[in-house]
Amino acid sequence: MFRIALKGILGRKARLVLTSLAVILGTAFLSGTSIFSATLTRTFDNLFSDVFQNVDAYVRSSQVIEADFGQEERQRIPVSLVDIVKTVPGVSDAAPDIQAFARIIGSDGKPLGADGNGPPTFGGVYTKYKGALWTIKQGHAPMNAGEVAIDEASVKAGKLTLNKKVKVVAQTGSREFTLVGIASYGNVRSPGGATFALFDPTTAQEFLAKPGFVDDILVTGDGSLSETALAAAINKAITKEIATKPVLKGVKTETLTGAQITQETQDQIGSALSFFGILLSVFSYIALGVGCFVIYNVFSISAAQRQRENALLRAIGASKKQISRAMLIEATIIGLFGSLVGLVGGIGLSKALSGLLRALSIDIPSGDLVITRSTVQQTLIAGLVVTLVSAWFPARRAGRVPPLAAMRETAIEIIASGKKRTIGGLVTIAAGVAVVVAVIAGAETTWLGIGILLVFIGTIILGPVIARPVALFLGRPAARFRGITGSMARQNSARNPKRTARTASPVLIGVALVTAVTALAASIKGQIDDVFTQQFKGDYAVSTNNRGFGGLSPSLALDISKLPEVAKATGIGLVTAKLDDKGQYITTISPESINGVWNIGLINAQYSDLATNSIFVSQKKAVKIGVAKGSIMKILFADGMTRKLTVSGLYVHNEIGDYIISKSLLADTTVVSFDRGVYIVTKQGVSSTVARAALTKAVTKYGQGDLLSKREYINKRSGNVNQLLGLIYGLLFLSVIIAVVGIIITLLLSVFERQRELGLLRAVGMTRSQVRTTVRWESVITSLLGAVIGIVLGIGLGWVIVFALRDQGLRNFALPIGSTIFIVFASFIVGVLAAIYPAWRATKVDILSALNTN
Amino acid sequence: MTSLTLTVAASTHNAKKIYGKDDSVVYALNDVSVDFYSGQFTAIMGPSGSGKSTLMHCIAGLDELTEGSAIIDGEDLSKMSDKDLTELRREKIGFIFQSFNLVPTLTADENIRLPLLLGNNKGNEEWIQRVINTVHLQDRLSHRPSELSGGQQQRVAVARALASEPRIIFADEPTGNLDSTTGGEILSFMRMAVDELKQTIVMVTHDPVAAAYADRIVFLADGKVAGEMLEPTAEKVLDRMKSLGN
Ligand SMILES: Nc1ncnc2c1ncn2[C@@H]1O[C@H](COP(=O)(O)OP(=O)(O)O)[C@@H](O)[C@H]1O
Ligand SMILES: [Mg+2]
Repeated sequence: MFRIALKGILGRKARLVLTSLAVILGTAFLSGTSIFSATLTRTFDNLFSDVFQNVDAYVRSSQVIEADFGQEERQRIPVSLVDIVKTVPGVSDAAPDIQAFARIIGSDGKPLGADGNGPPTFGGVYTKYKGALWTIKQGHAPMNAGEVAIDEASVKAGKLTLNKKVKVVAQTGSREFTLVGIASYGNVRSPGGATFALFDPTTAQEFLAKPGFVDDILVTGDGSLSETALAAAINKAITKEIATKPVLKGVKTETLTGAQITQETQDQIGSALSFFGILLSVFSYIALGVGCFVIYNVFSISAAQRQRENALLRAIGASKKQISRAMLIEATIIGLFGSLVGLVGGIGLSKALSGLLRALSIDIPSGDLVITRSTVQQTLIAGLVVTLVSAWFPARRAGRVPPLAAMRETAIEIIASGKKRTIGGLVTIAAGVAVVVAVIAGAETTWLGIGILLVFIGTIILGPVIARPVALFLGRPAARFRGITGSMARQNSARNPKRTARTASPVLIGVALVTAVTALAASIKGQIDDVFTQQFKGDYAVSTNNRGFGGLSPSLALDISKLPEVAKATGIGLVTAKLDDKGQYITTISPESINGVWNIGLINAQYSDLATNSIFVSQKKAVKIGVAKGSIMKILFADGMTRKLTVSGLYVHNEIGDYIISKSLLADTTVVSFDRGVYIVTKQGVSSTVARAALTKAVTKYGQGDLLSKREYINKRSGNVNQLLGLIYGLLFLSVIIAVVGIIITLLLSVFERQRELGLLRAVGMTRSQVRTTVRWESVITSLLGAVIGIVLGIGLGWVIVFALRDQGLRNFALPIGSTIFIVFASFIVGVLAAIYPAWRATKVDILSALNTN
Repeated sequence: MTSLTLTVAASTHNAKKIYGKDDSVVYALNDVSVDFYSGQFTAIMGPSGSGKSTLMHCIAGLDELTEGSAIIDGEDLSKMSDKDLTELRREKIGFIFQSFNLVPTLTADENIRLPLLLGNNKGNEEWIQRVINTVHLQDRLSHRPSELSGGQQQRVAVARALASEPRIIFADEPTGNLDSTTGGEILSFMRMAVDELKQTIVMVTHDPVAAAYADRIVFLADGKVAGEMLEPTAEKVLDRMKSLGN
């Protein structure tokens, strides 16, 4: 039977290629995304093991507040501890270290590095230290408050010149320095695409952090102690010092080994990347699932086309099992072959993915491709399993072919009872809808996924039943306006409903997901628009994308408010704190200037009620955690001090956050706080050109943040949704490609199958262009069939998701009519494009040999 | 039907069709010159492999001659593009094949009108109705081929060949797949088409009984014309075939 299977494969190279194509594409996406994730992780891992290469111990504060998304706010430690560490036996050298936000302004006045999503822009310390990776390649080390050293890549990118002035922006504001040194990092010009501005320790503390404080201490041992013993010794010495020196009261530190800090940093990056990795693999599995339909379809069609051959084998004595097994062997070979090619194709694809992300201005460091064993295993196993599963039913059906079928005229697919199918499909859909309704009525939201899945499965089961009437309906315009060719296309798309349904299913899934995501995005955008129009009462805003790390200097708002053109300017920021033992983002505002600029919908309260010992809580949160006006809340900031705050007001619009405190609360602390935005009301009678010019000047001085009009600001907020939408579209594109390939394959197989018919048509006078038209319209009808049902499902899905997110503040479902029309149009185009090659093949049918085959 | 009034509907001149190369060349047609006359029912006969189908394909614009010319209605096929040939087949030629004559997705009516529909041509409705009546298909028009018997399917094919009022109809073993009664019926319809509807038919066959329905028989052997016979009968044909070594 193996020989027969092998002959089956080799005898029909075209079919082999076509079947493999679906497997290849599906597995290529899987391995591509997997290689991409692994490469990214490895690149960052290498980066950090380089950073800590000569570090044997690492001292830092043990006071930390962790918030969502892995963000953390760690306290700083006194720089005086460096000298203590240096005296510990076993320590060869120690150096203060600061990793703070600093943005270098290029010679053209533009800040270096991407605002927001790119690699970080660091400010740090340059000292003589044995473990240092920074070396000065040109010039000399920064030695006083007026000097800076900058990494080689940034010097080049910013077109900076040695011994000339360069502006750097940090938390404390912007300042000019003389570029005295060009630094290089190990043998890399700039690690991971980040930018570095390096200062002498005193300047670094004062400009980047707080005088007398650093983030951590890097320690290199002399080799006499193990890393663990060294860390223990250092810890002991520091504890003793803190206990004896009253100045150090309240300081809490921990000492990590070099290996620990390397691991910790790698893990942090790893978990940030793993979300991304999961996103990628979810979409590649969707693509592979879509590929299943294509593989299943190809095997079904080829089983049908080989019906006579199989019947003949049965007639001369082959058993059912042998027939089925021959087909499964064929599937195994195709699965293995396809997965192997897919694995290789994935390498190219992972490169394309990097390109896609760069195009979306998400810059990532480049490194050698990493192909792990798990990538190989995952790809091969998934490819093989998917192929075998998809071939299973067609193989079984092939075995059941009656020997008598050998005498039959044409290939007929055995059609399962339509009644069973109709009932099965309808019951599944009904069950799914019931689950969704139950959730809407109040059941657990997690059930939604199951409900949606049931509806999808039910629709796909029902597919063959509805394919014929829907295809006939959709084909009406073609038949009407395209005469006999359109009418034949219509009939062709309906003549084999199972095949049509299977071909349309990948389109259906792709379109449903695209529609749902688009509807969701439109709903979110509509929400953003409403919210910001309602709440932002100013004329201009300065915004930045630097989430978590850095932000706008608090002095920017003050500077702007002093401009003669400006009536009012206020900054809104974020700080991390522990509230009720949970890490939270707390919004910081300036109560004295926010009134009339930003409306949070205070309930029976005024901004002036927010004092240094009070807090505002959103009404929604207050209900949830059970606090009211007058309640006392305990808040722990990164300085390690717990404060008691009285709830002095509740408010409605929680888009800027659920907790609000006054900036003056933090004024005398070591807690780091940036503004996330500055909101501005201009004076009456000041023209927009004048206002913009004055504001631009003020903002440029800081070298950070974008100046936006109210409209631009609102658009930018919803623009963030577009970026995510772009990424998701990009990933769904994988599935769309497979869907298109599915249509191409099915059409090609149908063309092969209808050779005689095509020959006859050509003989009685059908022109080549009419042949093409027929194939094209069949393709368009099939594609539209998937699209129309997909849109219906997608809108439902979108609505359900928006409903599920109502707790996140999503209130209105928006149906993107324009996008929906576009999707229909795009499916039309997809149909036309998919038909190009099969239509061309159809015109190449040789009339005589088509007529002569019996 | 005297030779004085005869006009040529289709003809070949020194037609050669050569398959293969060098050692293995086959002369499927070896210098065939033959005329087919309007208003006549001509049969082409000959042993298997004598070149009957090849001749028919080359005159009907389905295949190209290696040498010589094929002419339909005064036009030389060798000088025509694929598009022109397609149009010629659609407008001036009717076809009846041995099997698989009909498009399975179309109804009998649509199949009958297929060449007209393809040419975006309404056709002559009165004529079409007459053709349909002649082959007794009035009550089968909305059926699809799978719902028709073999004989009915061939009747649809005959009607299709006639529907566009072509200059000439080519039939390749039209009764080869039918039992003799049904075959006889089809042949009678073809005869009627010539007698009553004044059509021109060229039919390839190796069945002497079928050939006897024709006005004239052209015999082929080894790719050459091996004579002809007027007003044939089955016995006469059988005798002649024997001498050709069938
Ligand atoms: N495509 C082809 N390639 C090679 N030889 C062919 C081809 N078609 C026909 N022939 C040869 O040409 C000769 C005439 O064939 P054909 O016209 O089909 O004969 P008939 O219809 O009288 O049986 C035969 O010898 C046949 O083998
Ligand atoms: Mg023949």
